[in-house]
Amino acid sequence: MSAILAGGMKQSVHWSDRVAHALLVVAGVALAVFLLAPLATILVKSAQDRAGEWVGLLNFADYFRTPALERSIWNSAWISTLVTAITIPLAFIFAYALTRSCMRFKTLLRNVALVPILAPSLLAAISFIFWFGNQGLLKALLGGNQIYGAPGIVISLVFATFPHALMILVTALSLTDARLSEAADALGTSASRKFWTITVPGAKYGLLSAAMVVFTYAISDFGIPKVIGGNFNMLATDIFKLVIGQQDFSKGAVVGIILLVPVAVTYVADRWVQKRQSALLSARSVPYVPRRSPGFDWAMTAYCVAISLLLLAVLLMAVYASFIKLWPYNFSMSLDHYRMGLVEAGMFGAYVNSVTLGFWCATLGAAFIFGVAYLLEKTRGLDTWRGFMRLMAVLPMGVPGMVLGLGYILFFVEASNPLHFIYGSMAILVVNTVVHYYTSSHLTAVTALKQIDNEFEYVSASLKVPFWRTFLRVTVPVCMPSMLDVSRYLFVNAMTTVSAVVFLYSPNTTLASVAIVNLDEAGDIGAAAAMATLIVVTSSFVCLVYYFLQAWLDRRTQSWRNA
Amino acid sequence: MSAEFLELRNIRKEFGSFVALKDVSLGVHKGELICFLGPSGCGKTTLLRIIAGLEVQSAGTIVQAGRDISRLPPMGRDYGIVFQSYALFPNLTVAENVAYGLVNRKMPRVEREARVKELLALVGMPDAGPKFPSQLSGGQQQRVAIARALATSPGLLLLDEPLSALDARVRVRLRGEIRSLQQRVGITTILVTHDQEEALSMADRIVVMKDGNIEQIGTPAEVYGRPATPFVADFVGKTNLLPATRSGSDRVQVGEQRFECPVADELANGAALRLFFRPEDVTVRGVNGATPNSAAAVVEKVEFLGAYSRITFRLNGIDQPLTADLSLNDMAEFHPKPGDTLRVAVPPDRLRVFEAA
Repeated sequence: MSAILAGGMKQSVHWSDRVAHALLVVAGVALAVFLLAPLATILVKSAQDRAGEWVGLLNFADYFRTPALERSIWNSAWISTLVTAITIPLAFIFAYALTRSCMRFKTLLRNVALVPILAPSLLAAISFIFWFGNQGLLKALLGGNQIYGAPGIVISLVFATFPHALMILVTALSLTDARLSEAADALGTSASRKFWTITVPGAKYGLLSAAMVVFTYAISDFGIPKVIGGNFNMLATDIFKLVIGQQDFSKGAVVGIILLVPVAVTYVADRWVQKRQSALLSARSVPYVPRRSPGFDWAMTAYCVAISLLLLAVLLMAVYASFIKLWPYNFSMSLDHYRMGLVEAGMFGAYVNSVTLGFWCATLGAAFIFGVAYLLEKTRGLDTWRGFMRLMAVLPMGVPGMVLGLGYILFFVEASNPLHFIYGSMAILVVNTVVHYYTSSHLTAVTALKQIDNEFEYVSASLKVPFWRTFLRVTVPVCMPSMLDVSRYLFVNAMTTVSAVVFLYSPNTTLASVAIVNLDEAGDIGAAAAMATLIVVTSSFVCLVYYFLQAWLDRRTQSWRNA
Repeated sequence: MSAEFLELRNIRKEFGSFVALKDVSLGVHKGELICFLGPSGCGKTTLLRIIAGLEVQSAGTIVQAGRDISRLPPMGRDYGIVFQSYALFPNLTVAENVAYGLVNRKMPRVEREARVKELLALVGMPDAGPKFPSQLSGGQQQRVAIARALATSPGLLLLDEPLSALDARVRVRLRGEIRSLQQRVGITTILVTHDQEEALSMADRIVVMKDGNIEQIGTPAEVYGRPATPFVADFVGKTNLLPATRSGSDRVQVGEQRFECPVADELANGAALRLFFRPEDVTVRGVNGATPNSAAAVVEKVEFLGAYSRITFRLNGIDQPLTADLSLNDMAEFHPKPGDTLRVAVPPDRLRVFEAA
């Protein structure tokens, strides 16, 4: 009896802690309803027939008996593998140039290389149609081959995934300890031996991580195969066809689960890899400072300029084409696609919707994510529930957008669902987008919070100041730079995403990125290019706004930040 | 009821299978500065965090000012706390930091400002109000942290290694300032430190801890002069500790040397003991053959340490080298060099014996 008591001493809970617990419960339930429930619905739906009767694994058996569908698994697999195999070396050399050479114009080249992030993935597909499509400028170069199908998908995905791989690899390469290289120099090691024995092993985890991100992106992307894929089927486009085209929810759910498996496995592997990486760099490591080496620096500059020009060629083609009166017959410049194709066709509302979506995600979404991260990191009690919530917070990154969107439609379409009323509203788009991009935002917030001493909370408690006061007066101002990062990330992704929301928009809430798909399907590729351009311009503008906001904040707070 | 301001009864703390505190009991008088002293891992910080409610004890009771606070959360207790890292809010000015706990008490603004002014004057920084913490030195930040902790007039002040992050000069100066501040305010204070000099110079009483146990509680003079255990003797100050056996009433034998000293009656003849004396207890002036506990020492090493010199020497028939601290006057008179023989003595009342563990 006394032994049981010895371990079981518990503090009574202060009322302010109860507030924290209540908020945690509400937030956790929200995450469960808007993340777990939709995913669970997919599982249930995959075991039901069209009438809702339980059929077990029959749908899966059916699926594997349909050669056209089964073929998509193979297509998705080899396309994603190929894209990974092309993107990673390209991005690695670029990252190597940025971190290990004395190349000129580093900042400019880096920013150009990151530009694709500001565009919806479809933009690349549209551009490549203008370059190499049936009426493309350089079609002759293909010598009778088609860009539509696998070639177009692969090359567009390489464009879209390049910046994602680059960011991870730059981080990985800048984390290497310069002392290793100095020791190698002292032992008279050759440059190539250093590269293979120090650089590559040091960046090993970064390489794996980048490869997994690219693979996941490629296998989950919907926009690119939809626009440039022609008759080439992949899992993501299959889901769309089955659910929207044939209204076959059960089979759609089956494909969703099949798509979920590789992504989830990759994701779990990536988390495992990242855990190992954290131990790589000690506090005493010395950052690497590259030394001049004219031949190498020039080669690197040439390579990066070439890549940047190619990326710009893709981006600017869409912009250029959006101003062409009638491709390929009349190359005079006009605003027709914007005026007639978008505004007069009633498409401008979609653009406004996208900005609205971005705004709510960047404000309410960022605030929710940051608030939850704070409650998880800095308050006390409710430990089991806390662990459960942490798990939910990192889950969305392992779920492809198409699968999440499918889950939403299956879950909220039911009239019996008390939350059915949000179906078709802006609210469901906001919630879905925030959940879709939850993990990265959450991890950014947690990293920022972990840099603040827990002692702030201890001191506040000793002064009888409830946690929310300290949150608002101290934590928020101190974490503002990271909060702005999260907010910008959500805004840009809300502007560019297609995959999850393609299931969820209603006539009143069409989004700009979804409109591109529809315009392209209607054959109005000029207007599609115009819309894509609008998105890129808006995302760039938003980034600029955040940049100035950050600069203003830095100036205002420099009196107390590391004086 | 007990007269102690803070009473810890049978506090035990386990982290998994590791026992951080084993049945610790302690009373803290009102208005005193008590110091938890011990090497890292002895449980002193854990004990402080339990008093603050930041850790929950596995068993035991804490009573503060007659109120059982064992199960109260930090918000429900009555203390101010200062950490080694200062933990000042970086985005608030010094004045806002100090006022942080006052704002919540709905104190009128004028009154609040007066209180902040008073506190900043108290810690000797009357003009620092509009500055941000990053514009202050470490020592100044720590004073602000103390002012903030005192602002709400708590009954208890907890200081967790408050001086450890500061450089040596500032540390010594701030020691004295904190001590005189504490005496002026009259607040019951617990100071956690691993620095014995800090404990000796600041505390009313010292609690020496080791492996989750209290080894001794006493005034600095008691702990230094009459250590209760060999560990305390060794941890606080410099010490000569020698294996000894009892060889008669008020006599012990070390190797071939015989020492005269008080020995408790319950220790049996022939019992294994340890003999303790401090280097500064060794005398050289006026020592002759008749002086009790005197012997011829062979000097091995002489270290000049400023105000005094430390001599390492050997006594005939004892394997272990011993140390003596000699003042500059002694040095000028005897100027011992390695290899010299010198007659030394230890007064019997300076010798202590412990039961060998």
